[in-house]
Amino acid sequence: MAKISVYRFLSAGCNACDVEILECLVPRYGLANLGVEVVEEPEKANVLILTGAGTIKGEKALLEVYEKINPPKIVVAVGNCSITKNIFDKGYPIIGPPNKLIPVNYYIPGCPPRPQAIIKAIADILGVKIEEKEEFWKTPEGFRGRHEIDGEKCIGCGACAQICTADAIEVIDGPEKRIIRVNYGHCTFCAFCQDECPTQAIRLTGVYHLLTSDPRAARVENEVNLLSCTICGGTFFPEKQIEWALKRVVEEKVPIYKDYHDNIYNSMRICPNCRRKIENIKRAKILLTNLSERARRP
Amino acid sequence: MPEKVYIGPYRPQLVEPERFELLVEGDKIIDAKMELGYMHRGIEKLFTTRTYMQNLALAERICGICSGIHTLCYAQTVERLMGVEVPERAKYLRCIYMELERLHSHYLWFGILAHSLHEHEAFAKIMGEREIIQDLFEYLTGNRINYAINTIGGVRRDITPEKAEKIRGVLRTLKPLSDYIMSLLDDNGVFTKKTKGVGVLPRDKAIEVGAVGPTLRGSGVASDIRKDDPYAAYDKLDFEVIVEKDGDVHAKALVRARETYESMKIIEQALDNLPPGDISVKPGEPKVGEEVGRVEAPRGELIYYIRSNGTNIPERVKVRTPSYANNFAILEMLKGERLGNARTVIESIDPCFACTDRVTVVDVRTGKRRIIALR
Repeated sequence: MAKISVYRFLSAGCNACDVEILECLVPRYGLANLGVEVVEEPEKANVLILTGAGTIKGEKALLEVYEKINPPKIVVAVGNCSITKNIFDKGYPIIGPPNKLIPVNYYIPGCPPRPQAIIKAIADILGVKIEEKEEFWKTPEGFRGRHEIDGEKCIGCGACAQICTADAIEVIDGPEKRIIRVNYGHCTFCAFCQDECPTQAIRLTGVYHLLTSDPRAARVENEVNLLSCTICGGTFFPEKQIEWALKRVVEEKVPIYKDYHDNIYNSMRICPNCRRKIENIKRAKILLTNLSERARRP
Repeated sequence: MPEKVYIGPYRPQLVEPERFELLVEGDKIIDAKMELGYMHRGIEKLFTTRTYMQNLALAERICGICSGIHTLCYAQTVERLMGVEVPERAKYLRCIYMELERLHSHYLWFGILAHSLHEHEAFAKIMGEREIIQDLFEYLTGNRINYAINTIGGVRRDITPEKAEKIRGVLRTLKPLSDYIMSLLDDNGVFTKKTKGVGVLPRDKAIEVGAVGPTLRGSGVASDIRKDDPYAAYDKLDFEVIVEKDGDVHAKALVRARETYESMKIIEQALDNLPPGDISVKPGEPKVGEEVGRVEAPRGELIYYIRSNGTNIPERVKVRTPSYANNFAILEMLKGERLGNARTVIESIDPCFACTDRVTVVDVRTGKRRIIALR
């Protein structure tokens, strides 16, 4: 491939991705060693690097710039704003993501991506291998990269989706399974999900090479089984969450309920709709009376 | 016949998109106007659609350079609204993180100044050596930029003794970089020649346009929120407010260069006196009412106003960023300046248009257009 000339275009981001692209120019990262130069006019460029979610005001300029880029006209979206609008998703002046306006070839997720990730991604696009030591790629402990969900630990409660700052985590209830989906192309990597998770199932790892050509593929999923109601048979709640709650309440908080473990478990397996029906109230009432008497006894 | 010259909006020399309309006669700028809004994202509206906790990440993304200080100001204001007292250790940790951010922001500014003055050697050296702070941030907080370190009620990650030792090591390697920058700014330095007497903002004019931060301190006004209205642990730390009298770009650079030493002093003191204890407390319920908080960001005074209606979502959040206050200083400084110096003058306030584009000021009149390359 001929010399790569990059033109940067920023529209409605926070500027951090731009700083990281500039950072790639310093000798330590050596973007220039890959035969890449950053040019100041779109007419001289053949690669367009986009950052930011795209605003109404920048739309015309973006289309003009795209027209002026020389073939092969490769467009790379750097950072999550330019992939999915990220945290600015519902902002009123935001019209992006830019792939709605112009065709985008590659996406580099991150908020912002590390310079190492940008360098590696550009090298991958060019088909070049970078000779660097282990030390260069290493991330420190506690680095906030791509998520990992431990299928054993995850109870499917959806606390991560509740706290998520950018609506990156979805909870999708199917007929039998619940899917917890982390769209890391939409993520701010704030790690609130990691802090909030009651079972430490979700964790941000040191994986940061996330180059993709399909933004929809940028996700991590976990499936949990849903419990079916013992009366109507419909699914309503993750199985593991009930077990977790039961364990917490019966075994840890109120040990005297231990004898009634099975009774409570059985009544928890009735879905809210059935629980409200008159014919089922009697059964619940007996259980509650037993439990309260048991709790009152010294 | 005066002629109109447009700078921007999309010019890679200026880091972010903005547009300046200069009225030029010969080589001299007579009048200047600016048009913003290319970075407008509707953040203040977005603030009112998320919970107090979620807004931390949004406040962080107002600006990607001074991201930490935005979360600090936001968190402090919300803490007052909730009546939460932050643990003593968290206050010291906040000072350490924010002074590290000031260091990285000031060094970045010197890098950009060197770039705009075409001092490529200085640019490469400053930007290259500045990397060590970014690495430190990654080690301390888990990310190079947007560190998500402040939370409502404290900070999220502690500084252990080995981390403290690492910070001290980084400060030792940064002192020579500050010395190098000071050498560029002394009487024979390369920066001095190109910045002395450029873009003068006299003291009374600086006060009149409401400039803040290093821009104001470079014009001889000793104004620093860390001293005037201390927050976090700044009232217990000893440091000096740097003031330079000249008001030109050189004075602003000198203020920033000398401030890097003060920041190092603050970090060392805070590390020495770090009290034991928790690093955060549980946030409470927001009371109905309103609060204003202010901090000294690397670029100047940053103000947050938050109104609460008692729910977990704020009713109104207003942000006054330092770059917004300083923009009017640019227009003042550009008047009477040579066209060739325009870029240096614009960069001299360390403009951060991601911060500023909250209010759209549109004033484009038809006129003769000419795009010039600023070199």
